[in-house]
Amino acid sequence: MYNTKIKPTFCPGCGNYGIKQALQSALEQLDLKPHQAVITYDVGCNSNMADFIYAYGFHGLHGRSVPSAAGIKLANHKLPVIAIIGDGAFYSEGGTHFLNLMRANHDVTVIVHNNHRFSLTAGQYTSTTEEETITVTSPAGVIEEPVNPIAVSLVNHATFVARGFAGDVKHLTDLIISGVKHKGFSLIDVLQPCVIWNKEQSYEWYKKNIYYLKKADSKRQRALKDALNEKKLAVGVFYQENKPAYHEEFPALIKKPLVYQDIRKIDIREVMKEFG
Amino acid sequence: MQNSINIKIGGPAGQGVKSIGLILDKMFMRSGYKVFGYTEYPSLIRGGHNTYQAYAGSESAFAQKRRLDMLIALDQGTIAAHQDELDDKTLVIFNQDTLKVAKTRGVLLPFPINDLIKKADGLPVMANIIALGAVCFLSGLEPEILANLVKETFGAKGNEMVKKNTACVKAGYNFAREKLAQYAIKLDPPAKKEKQILVTGNEALALGAVSAGLKFYSAYPMTPATSILHSLVHWAKKYSLVVKQTEDEISAINMALGASYAGARAMTATSGGGFALMTEAVGMAGIMELPLVIVESMRSGPSTGMPTWHSQADLRQVLHASQGDFPRAVLAPGDMQECFDLAREAFYLAEKYQLPVIILSDKYLSESMQSVPAPAASWQNKRYGFANADFNKAAGKNNEQPFKRYALSSGGISQRSVPGQSGGAYLSNSYEHDEFGYATEEAEMAVAMNDKRSAKFIELAKEVGQSRPRIFGGQSADVSFISWGSNKCPVLAALDLLKEKNISANFMHVNYIWPFPKEAVSQFIKNSKRIINVECNASGQFAGLVRQETGLKIKENLLKYDGRPFYAEDILTYVQH
Ligand SMILES: Cc1ncc(C[n+]2csc(CCOP(=O)(O)OP(=O)(O)O)c2C)c(N)n1
Ligand code: SF4
Ligand SMILES: [Mg+2]
Repeated sequence: MYNTKIKPTFCPGCGNYGIKQALQSALEQLDLKPHQAVITYDVGCNSNMADFIYAYGFHGLHGRSVPSAAGIKLANHKLPVIAIIGDGAFYSEGGTHFLNLMRANHDVTVIVHNNHRFSLTAGQYTSTTEEETITVTSPAGVIEEPVNPIAVSLVNHATFVARGFAGDVKHLTDLIISGVKHKGFSLIDVLQPCVIWNKEQSYEWYKKNIYYLKKADSKRQRALKDALNEKKLAVGVFYQENKPAYHEEFPALIKKPLVYQDIRKIDIREVMKEFG
Repeated sequence: MQNSINIKIGGPAGQGVKSIGLILDKMFMRSGYKVFGYTEYPSLIRGGHNTYQAYAGSESAFAQKRRLDMLIALDQGTIAAHQDELDDKTLVIFNQDTLKVAKTRGVLLPFPINDLIKKADGLPVMANIIALGAVCFLSGLEPEILANLVKETFGAKGNEMVKKNTACVKAGYNFAREKLAQYAIKLDPPAKKEKQILVTGNEALALGAVSAGLKFYSAYPMTPATSILHSLVHWAKKYSLVVKQTEDEISAINMALGASYAGARAMTATSGGGFALMTEAVGMAGIMELPLVIVESMRSGPSTGMPTWHSQADLRQVLHASQGDFPRAVLAPGDMQECFDLAREAFYLAEKYQLPVIILSDKYLSESMQSVPAPAASWQNKRYGFANADFNKAAGKNNEQPFKRYALSSGGISQRSVPGQSGGAYLSNSYEHDEFGYATEEAEMAVAMNDKRSAKFIELAKEVGQSRPRIFGGQSADVSFISWGSNKCPVLAALDLLKEKNISANFMHVNYIWPFPKEAVSQFIKNSKRIINVECNASGQFAGLVRQETGLKIKENLLKYDGRPFYAEDILTYVQH
């Protein structure tokens, strides 16, 4: 139901296939018809998915698509909004949006295809690439320390923080379902093998280096322990908290979504009084 | 008798220069006059020299003038700073207890402020209110109007404060009546009394936007656009608007485009620097064919420039911003009335032609005050281009086929669906795309989509391009001005001065800048005996545009780029050389 006629162009073996599959089965299990959800896409290998998924879509600018997702949600808060984006886009180019949209608790589910590379531009290191990694733009190894998006989200008021693995579609599907159901900002950082530009972090490598969290913590401090684990990568929901979503705090949105408010006749008498 | 009055208040920031100016303007407006208020201040919160100029005319108030009828000096520096604007008749009002005035042009009117405050049982901060009372008498206005304004302004501070302030108004008024009656200015009564409102350009714009069905506004503060955010946030509840202050301008425009895609009328506003950050997304509005109203209020550049000063040097920036070819409209209102009207027009054009519309304003318009006839209370808005205008109720089963959002047709405008609407699913795409929105790199489709977008521009140009520029002062004259945007204010004021000197002059004001009104501009220039282009930038950006579009070179360019707007007198002096 959620496939367009366009055949996916990801490289054979790319982790993006698993993420696409998880997203589609999540939509199905959530019983959302293609017109009942909006998916935004960024620019990157990950976001080429825009052409393959049949639903309302918004294929925005590199690093800037999550603000658009927040705008869509504020204009029509009845629709679930899911953002597909890459690590380069969300943690580097759009880093300020990453920091600020999460603490506002916009009700958007952000799925970050984290392959630790700018893959579409041919494999440069990103802000999540491990120190000392050799890539096309770091022939002597990356000098800087990587961003830890899970830890940042935990200390920066995100209300749903999770990590998935593109090689475990069933688990990822459940994470996406929980993320969409969660009221407020949900970050799902997905470990995504890129078979072309990141040969070290293969499916096998991830399988050996991940462990599963049992259930979401309700204390950020405790969740941070797993987020900061340097030996192994935890997958699952680190933290979840119930809090009103951003749009729920807007008086304008109490009665009905913004787009359904009638603008055919507007009376400005009231405000004109200020200027008399 | 004289038909206008021009008053300047000067003092340090934080001493209420602007708030007294506003009361003065309202006092004249409520007395039936047309008014214009102009303010200058440095980019500081405390200290520095601030001024407010209140100009009132019995028939019109296009702009403040340079020559002052009164100068109210709240500090020593004010008198020295404005010597150029005084003549023998200018009344210089100051507090004799705090200021020592050595040599100055004009008529010195020292006020025994301490004494007057004491008698009125006022507070030291009310020196300004005493001055207001005096101006009220010296201008021949009814003191009740001022007393009411004072009551409204200070009402929130409690009865005691209202009482003290009212007593100070009276003290100033009576002092002037008893001691200074010989200096009273004989001002013509208002020519025509009509209901007016007093607004800044930003307020007029915000008001126009609300009346046009604005629903979503996102912005990041930047002088001189910031007060639009302030107004809208203040009205958000009443008009059920989402007003979002974002983390930066890039977020502001991308968020607004998200809201537009979802079907809401959306706007963002900034100044030149913020607009530079928005650039990439302006092109996205172009290729996604999303309606968006963007206000760019210019200030002195380049870079951070002079943040609180005037300029018109971003014309080329807004015309060319963003990579690739795509249609856009650029509107440049000339005064507060046009700020309101063109805000409405911008929403209409943006939605009808599905493109970004940029309203190019500037510090002079954004922060000056002008009285305009009170707009109608109720405004009607039509919606354009929705596949099912009643998308709220759109029923039916979901179509398995994506919606042809970018259907190729003559005229280029295709119907939009909105998320949630069944059978409407499509991809809004920043990549070049096919009719469903899916990315394409096919040569034929790329050409077809470019042509589709260009066709919209041709239709748009047909609708707005030809007849819009207004000509003031008759079809033929010895001297002809052409200008754009806020220069309308000083040039109209200059036409009056030229008339007094028996110099025949006319003026074409261009407010629809893009699509460019080629024919009309060409005709006007060809018909002129002496054509002068007037604009506030160093390179003559508009003159360049005229040449680009009409092939005509304007030889005389009156340019100003010192951060100040033109005064009518500057234009007169130039014409007379
Ligand atoms: C403003 C801007 N800068 C740079 C690019 C070029 N660019 C396209 S995709 C990309 C990197 C994408 O990396 P990521 O977001 O991690 O996605 P991936 O390709 O790895 O899935 C870059 C730098 C662009 N499209 N826009
Ligand atoms: S380059 Fe890497 S991320 Fe891109 S499609 Fe190929 S495998 Fe996937
Ligand atoms: Mg990546």
